[in-house]
Amino acid sequence: MNEIFALVEHRQGAIRDITYELLSCGRKLAEKENTKLTAIILGHNTDDLVQILKSQAHRLLVVDNDVFKDFNSELYQITLNEIMKKHNPMLFLMGHSAFGMDLCPALATQLGVPFTTDCLDIEFMEQKLKVTRQIYDGKLNAKVQLRENPGYMITLRSGCFPAGEGSLDGSVERFDTPVSTQPDYRKFIEYIEAAVGEVDITKSDILVSVGRGIKDQANLSIIEDFASAIGGVVACSRPVVDAGWMAKDRQVGSSGKTVKPKLYIALGISGAFQHIVGMKGADTIIAVNKDPNAPIFSEADYGIVDDLFKVMPVLKTKISEVKLAKG
Amino acid sequence: MGGSIKINLEVRDAIIESGAGDVIKCYQCGRCMAACPWNLLEGLNYATYRFCQRIKLGAIIDSEEKEEIAADTIDVFRCVGCDSCKAECPRGVGLSDILRAVRRILVEFDSYPGELKSVVTRVFSSGNPLGESTEKRGDWAAGLNIPQYTEDCEYLYFPCCLPAYDARAKKISQATVRILKRADISFGIIGKEEFCCGEAVRRVGAEKVFQAAVKQNTELFKKAKVHKVIATSPHCLVTFTKEYPEYYDGFETLHAVQVFDRLIKDKTIVPKRPFEKTVVYHDPCTLGRQMDIYDEPRAVLKSIPGLKLIEVPIFNRDFSICCGGGAMGLWRDWPQDERLANLRTEQILATDADILCVACPYCLQMFEETLKSMDADIEVMDISEILEASLELR
Amino acid sequence: MDIIVCIKRVAQTAEAEVKIDSSGKDIIKDRLTFDMNESDTYALEEAILLKEKFGGTLTAVSLGTVEAEDTLRIALAKGADSAIRIKAEDFQELDGYKTAQLLKAAIKDLKFDVVFTGCIATDDYYSLVGVTLAELLGVPHATLVTKIVIQDTKAQVHRELEGGLVEHLEMTLPVLFTIQTGINEPRYASLIAIRRAAKKEIKVIGASEIDPANIQANASLEELFTPSVGKRAEILTGSMDEISAKVAGIIKEKGLL
Repeated sequence: MNEIFALVEHRQGAIRDITYELLSCGRKLAEKENTKLTAIILGHNTDDLVQILKSQAHRLLVVDNDVFKDFNSELYQITLNEIMKKHNPMLFLMGHSAFGMDLCPALATQLGVPFTTDCLDIEFMEQKLKVTRQIYDGKLNAKVQLRENPGYMITLRSGCFPAGEGSLDGSVERFDTPVSTQPDYRKFIEYIEAAVGEVDITKSDILVSVGRGIKDQANLSIIEDFASAIGGVVACSRPVVDAGWMAKDRQVGSSGKTVKPKLYIALGISGAFQHIVGMKGADTIIAVNKDPNAPIFSEADYGIVDDLFKVMPVLKTKISEVKLAKG
Repeated sequence: MGGSIKINLEVRDAIIESGAGDVIKCYQCGRCMAACPWNLLEGLNYATYRFCQRIKLGAIIDSEEKEEIAADTIDVFRCVGCDSCKAECPRGVGLSDILRAVRRILVEFDSYPGELKSVVTRVFSSGNPLGESTEKRGDWAAGLNIPQYTEDCEYLYFPCCLPAYDARAKKISQATVRILKRADISFGIIGKEEFCCGEAVRRVGAEKVFQAAVKQNTELFKKAKVHKVIATSPHCLVTFTKEYPEYYDGFETLHAVQVFDRLIKDKTIVPKRPFEKTVVYHDPCTLGRQMDIYDEPRAVLKSIPGLKLIEVPIFNRDFSICCGGGAMGLWRDWPQDERLANLRTEQILATDADILCVACPYCLQMFEETLKSMDADIEVMDISEILEASLELR
Repeated sequence: MDIIVCIKRVAQTAEAEVKIDSSGKDIIKDRLTFDMNESDTYALEEAILLKEKFGGTLTAVSLGTVEAEDTLRIALAKGADSAIRIKAEDFQELDGYKTAQLLKAAIKDLKFDVVFTGCIATDDYYSLVGVTLAELLGVPHATLVTKIVIQDTKAQVHRELEGGLVEHLEMTLPVLFTIQTGINEPRYASLIAIRRAAKKEIKVIGASEIDPANIQANASLEELFTPSVGKRAEILTGSMDEISAKVAGIIKEKGLL
């Protein structure tokens, strides 16, 4: 039985969370299919990565070279192409991330392996692979069967496969890269941190959105503080922009942006329909408003009827506690 | 525009064919420009008098520069359809009809402001501009004991989209049906099979969506044997009265305020509870200039004991200034200094009234939103809410 | 500079109710509007900006039924010089892989320096057509592009990564970019250009030009189903401490802490 492969995703020395989700998914499948999971690490000075991931896979296939310090899908493709030809895994898992999106379709096409992207669920049965994907702006799910083949490649959506503790003691195997310099046609130059004012609220998983309930521009710093404590970005409703307190690019609603974060915390937003149409697609909505009849509560999953300035300090403390407890 | 004018007869013909035949009547006297409320805003120069001439030459949205095309397109979609110009024009040209012809071509080519596109999409897909579920269209009447419309009803009450879905505007439809009920009017509601009347989508140039609205509503009215409609929105009233008959003329429409006026005149309802407030009435464009209904709302308000009715000086009745909500202006996001609502609100605040009385759900939304960012002591109420407050509790 | 932009006409479902039809494999479309896919509008604009800067030709390509010609005409009105439609009706069930192969077949004989696609189609959500097409064409690619500056044959490219980070790449033309929304401000069309576009001939190619037997799909649809939805609006009660603990628990449960 051929193995299952999963690609380790790392950036600036840190393993990306999606990696643990891929490996956990891969372990479960390997167990079910009675085969083994190999984690593939392309990186430079990979000892730390290897130590951290040893428990997560049966084998770690490591390519250590300074060209892999940063991600370059062209270099990954050349190297992985060699690895894949040698090992022919039954399934190769990658994250549906800026990294996997750039790499998977090209590599699979080069190898002639059937592939698909952005999978929420997978079923393997007698060599047949079926996956569940979201379509039509996430409003429907589609179950899709891949063209039958001894091997497949897919990318998994983050947050759909729970990460788990590993109890394996993976063997380490080294592989030499056939390339050692970046090609002229695609060179990684640098990472650039987004400047303040360039935050794209449509891309954030967590939005802390404020309405006229914040009363004064001076109160914004409290909100910013809270948002960064929970790893979110501050957005707002139209009156806040009108008052000149926040930039237009932070506005959610019919005349602002339509957002679909995983979590939307509406603070002091009454829920005028112009606002609701811009945020009702959020996965989870928590609303804080003094007015129990505020329309926002008919859109929210959870509501707190109180003054947002009373709620926030306590909530921030609780969230920090929960965060610490996890770490 | 730049220097020389590029004449393009093909563009001209396409616009005229799309419904701008009246351009030929314009002789550029400029009265439309003087009448247009946009030109009352400081710093804005909305050259309405040039539109007809430019269309006659096919020289409109004719630049090759991205920014100039955008500015010209925005201007074509600026007009809110208040018909102030039409009232002043010596030859009866309605610029909103002319611009609608241009808009139709642009909408067909998906070349129009994104915020409007979203609304058009929502109306077509959900039958209302909010994108709410059709299943919930009758929910506003929950608990009010309003009968479902049957052949035996005299009237269908048609609440319009905002009063069917929006939490604030629902209070208008709810007050209205409670008044109709206590007056023992024979009426019913339909709810989920109703579709947006389509007045605003048509003004914005989305003719296909308007046609879908007409089809859905007229088929519904035929099937349910509706012959008389009471509308809460004067926008529904205008399109039902002036536009639908081209496709189906088997029903007539009254605005709720006309019904209230009649019920008070024939003493079916008697406002007895004093409403000790100074009330300024704002004439909606669609009810006033477009349907000539000025006296009925004033008569209703005057019949209420204790209520002191005042007018916005000069800019009242046929000189009323638009709230800015027409032709989907409700969904636009103009910069602060380009908002008709601000201008009109300032005129209204200058009257020192306690209550701003409106008779259109768009006006209600526009003024309430505007007042939220002003530090003003005035409350916006629909005429149905004021009337209900003055009726004795049963 | 010769440029190709691939665009798709998609159902606008972001603000519409989406219902499954009786076959269980498609959606009910009679109450949906169809427009150019959102990120494709940005790809088109980026292509037009490049053409304005460097001159050359801009060809718009779309795989779709005859209605896709409306979408191609929009591209023509905004600045494309010519348009090609690949007849979707000639090719059975499509997936992203098959789409990429058909696009390749349609453009392989055209000269190009840059190929643009959107970064994701809002109907099928694959995000794979651009990269697959680049591989089939044998040119390098970059996905999720938010900035492009071209000088001679070198392109300085920004890609959008997770968490607000940007990756700066240097690439050599010819190249394929999949464009992220927000990279530019898509334009309106002038009326003159609209009239011109309305009359322009669109090249249509189908099974007689591309042999369907040589084009294979990777995935076939088994069924569509509606994801389960949770309940709405639970008002949290208790002391401020209790309420806050509940909220923190909810956020943690969603895996967001």
